[in-house]
Amino acid sequence: MELSYFFFLSSGLFLGWSLGANDAANIFGTAVGSKMVRFTSIALLASVFVILGAVYGGAGTSETLGELGAVNALAGSFMVALSAALAVYLMVRVGITVSTSQAIVGAIIGWNLYAGKHTDYETLAKVVSTWVLCPLISGIIAVLLYLLLKKIIKCSSLHLLMQDQLTRIAMFVTAAIGAYALGANNIANVVGVFVKSCPFKPLYMNNTVLLNPEQVLFLLGAIAVSVGIMTYSKKAIMTVGNNLMKMSPMVALIVVLAQSAVLLLFSSTSLHAWLEASSLPTIPLVPVSSSQAVIGAILGIGLIKGGRGINWNIVRKIVVGWVTAPFMAMFICFICLFFLENVFNLTVYINE
Amino acid sequence: MFNIKLSIFSATRELEQKIDEMHDKIIESSLYFKEAFDIYLKEKRSENYRRASKKIKIIEAQADDLRRDIESRLYIQNLIPDLRADVLQMVENIDKVINEFDEVAHKFYIEQPEIPDKFQDKFRLLVKQVSECAENMAIASRAFFRDFTTVRDYSRKVYFLEHESDKTWAALKQDVFDSDMELAHKIQLSSLIGEVADVADRAEDCIDAVLIFTIKRDI
Repeated sequence: MELSYFFFLSSGLFLGWSLGANDAANIFGTAVGSKMVRFTSIALLASVFVILGAVYGGAGTSETLGELGAVNALAGSFMVALSAALAVYLMVRVGITVSTSQAIVGAIIGWNLYAGKHTDYETLAKVVSTWVLCPLISGIIAVLLYLLLKKIIKCSSLHLLMQDQLTRIAMFVTAAIGAYALGANNIANVVGVFVKSCPFKPLYMNNTVLLNPEQVLFLLGAIAVSVGIMTYSKKAIMTVGNNLMKMSPMVALIVVLAQSAVLLLFSSTSLHAWLEASSLPTIPLVPVSSSQAVIGAILGIGLIKGGRGINWNIVRKIVVGWVTAPFMAMFICFICLFFLENVFNLTVYINE
Repeated sequence: MFNIKLSIFSATRELEQKIDEMHDKIIESSLYFKEAFDIYLKEKRSENYRRASKKIKIIEAQADDLRRDIESRLYIQNLIPDLRADVLQMVENIDKVINEFDEVAHKFYIEQPEIPDKFQDKFRLLVKQVSECAENMAIASRAFFRDFTTVRDYSRKVYFLEHESDKTWAALKQDVFDSDMELAHKIQLSSLIGEVADVADRAEDCIDAVLIFTIKRDI
């Protein structure tokens, strides 16, 4: 294995680190922000589950990204990941939270355009449709959960203090589920473009394959995500806070649950296979944005409560970010590939 | 893990009990206040009255200890971070109502006012309304923790009783000043009537706060 592979992979790992730093806020940010749980304990739990999710459930979504654009040269993969990371970074710098998933899709299309490869419009339509579907489904799930939980609280006559303790435990459980879902769904964003050029050997234990080469790659990406969670997400959590809408710990819990459910829906290969076998419409296996899911859930609950507490200015800003991010990543990728190929003489694509 | 979970829940249950006890203290102090006042009307500052007012004093001291215990436990166990300030304020408000009962009972003991027979029925009515007002406040406040949808029902009762006690207070005060007692006696009685009625006002203030906290408590 060449050492240069790790140099090129570094952009993916950087993207993973920033995904961990930003998206962890979606999983347990509200829990930490509401002072219900301690950052270190929940971050540690999320780091473990993000790795499990990535290694054991990350295959489905990376296939879809592969269909969108089979980035076949290592330097190309490097630039795709780097331009996505740069687009996210630049948008965050101007105070707009964006989706890593959208940035990577934009960057892949940028590579397709540069390499003159055909973009599979059917797959692209599938991916773009999830950008609308994801917040919509998340919003619907959140509303249903909200109404259900409200009913349960009303009927159970649970003491406020006991409710508080149960919410705290539920926050840990949902953080674990959310982290697993994030790992399973978003690992394709981080190292998905490196799958084609993956040089790793399978990992054996007692002569049985413990991890296949793809899973080893996902493990590396997931470790980067975990490092992002442990090192930088606290800052992101404290900055983002409750900007969009003031949330009670219970609503925060519902938002994370809805987000996890959506992420799992869009990454579960077994659910996909079951729907296919039952001749039911399938849910595309696409890396969706956890930020979009969270915002969909918050807006859903905000609207059912009468839409008063929602800060619409921030909503507008976020929607602008969703539209701008993929185009920006595509543009950066296209320009940088040109420099990489013509200034550094690197092969950024292979003509097959 | 199982043991840790159990200990978390047992600590919470203990605190739940303390908060319940705090609410019991209002109801107890209100009942003892009614009893003490009846004794006063019959026997004035007798040994029986001293004992009855002493009971209220003991309840007041116990409520103070409970309040401090609840406050420190809420912080030590880091419970309900979003509603902690509200719950602390509620506990303090409850304590203030109990303090008011104690102060008024003690004032009767110290000042030994003469209450003419013609005012006794209205005085009894005022004490009854004030005590019921405080009791309903305790029920509403307790409901905030378990069944916050019923807070509103009991709040209506508190508002009604406070309004009624205001009317009784005004009528009684008018009667006192229309009477042919000495001015000093009139002023003394009027001041005591005002202090009894203040307990209902304090209970009403508590309910105003509880209603706002209930809106915040709704998910």
